[in-house]
Amino acid sequence: MTGDKGGGLARLGAQKKLAKIGKVILVGSGKGGVGKSLVACGLGLLLAERGHRTGILDADLHGASVPDYVGARPPLASGAGGLLPKESGGLKVMSVSLLTGDNPVPVRGAKKEGMITELFALTDWGSLDFLVVDLPPSTGDELLTAFSLFARKSTLVLVTTPSPGSLAVVSRLRRLAASEGVPVAGVVLNMAFTGGGEARNYPFGRAGRKWLEERLDARLLAEVPLDPAVSSAGLKRALEAGGEFSDSFGRLASRLAKA
Amino acid sequence: MHELGIAQSIVDFAVSEARARNSSRVAEVQVEVGELAMIDRGILSNALRTLRSGPMLASCRFRVRTRKVSFKCRKCSATWPMAEAMKQLENVAPELLVREPDSSELPLHFLPSLYPAFVRCPKCGSADLDVSAGEDVKIMRVVFE
Repeated sequence: MTGDKGGGLARLGAQKKLAKIGKVILVGSGKGGVGKSLVACGLGLLLAERGHRTGILDADLHGASVPDYVGARPPLASGAGGLLPKESGGLKVMSVSLLTGDNPVPVRGAKKEGMITELFALTDWGSLDFLVVDLPPSTGDELLTAFSLFARKSTLVLVTTPSPGSLAVVSRLRRLAASEGVPVAGVVLNMAFTGGGEARNYPFGRAGRKWLEERLDARLLAEVPLDPAVSSAGLKRALEAGGEFSDSFGRLASRLAKA
Repeated sequence: MHELGIAQSIVDFAVSEARARNSSRVAEVQVEVGELAMIDRGILSNALRTLRSGPMLASCRFRVRTRKVSFKCRKCSATWPMAEAMKQLENVAPELLVREPDSSELPLHFLPSLYPAFVRCPKCGSADLDVSAGEDVKIMRVVFE
């Protein structure tokens, strides 16, 4: 009988950590550049602000951006229960970039499953109501690892823009989730519009609710506008500022907290 | 401190395997510690002895051995040992060292598979690397009574 830390030991450690987590919200798209990390981080920050014990795991090994969105920086510290996640607005944050900084992480496919499993298992999350997982683009190693690792407790939030190209890729992820038995909580239509009221514009086209829900076989959870304040002032301030951007995240958090 | 967590994982794994096989006692656990994980073998062995409680593990022997690591460049096929990598690891930015109560540890101590983020081929500079063995901690064998 053999076991190894990248497989058996890490898996066992992950199961112990998962036992203390209520629900895992996987945020994915399959497509790059649609705002998965923005949605994952905004959701995590709002859930934490509302008093839910919440953590976020950045599963994007090559393009980690969660720490930048939530304002978390190295160094990490270690305690008796493992690596201590950084805290931002009550949100517990773990990302490979908190260990590697600006260094690229050129790892090949076979190693990614072990890295994500170990990063999750090594982190001292404590007891959480929600763990949000920011998935990278593609339907490859990281996504399949997350599906398998969090299977019993996970629900998937699909993120798309209204563009046909984005929807085509997201619908593939939707079909994969169905074949793997991962429940889909719904879809977030990101970059849905700019401006407000009469001045609304739809730079990436319009996707009607009924059409979108039928296309992706999932309910529409929120329509998030493209808000320049996210770039200029940061995600936290944009969420605090009120208006359509923060209202859309409020609806998203409410729906997922109830689900 | 990380060694304590690894010791707990090894013990949990051995107990879990024994239960899965309806075995009442674990006689021996053989552990291989990869050089790249930079684990203190003495601390790990002591931690394993400390955690050896309960009837299932009371008479269990933990055998811990170190496995040397060998890096290989996938681009130019150069190979080099840990000592060469350690020269490069001395240059890891201080803010990336993980703070422990009495020391600071390299990120690889916690996640050895991150080595391509910190080590380059000494011959051609590539980060497209591989290691032959000795990357992390492995349970090689569990003997049940």
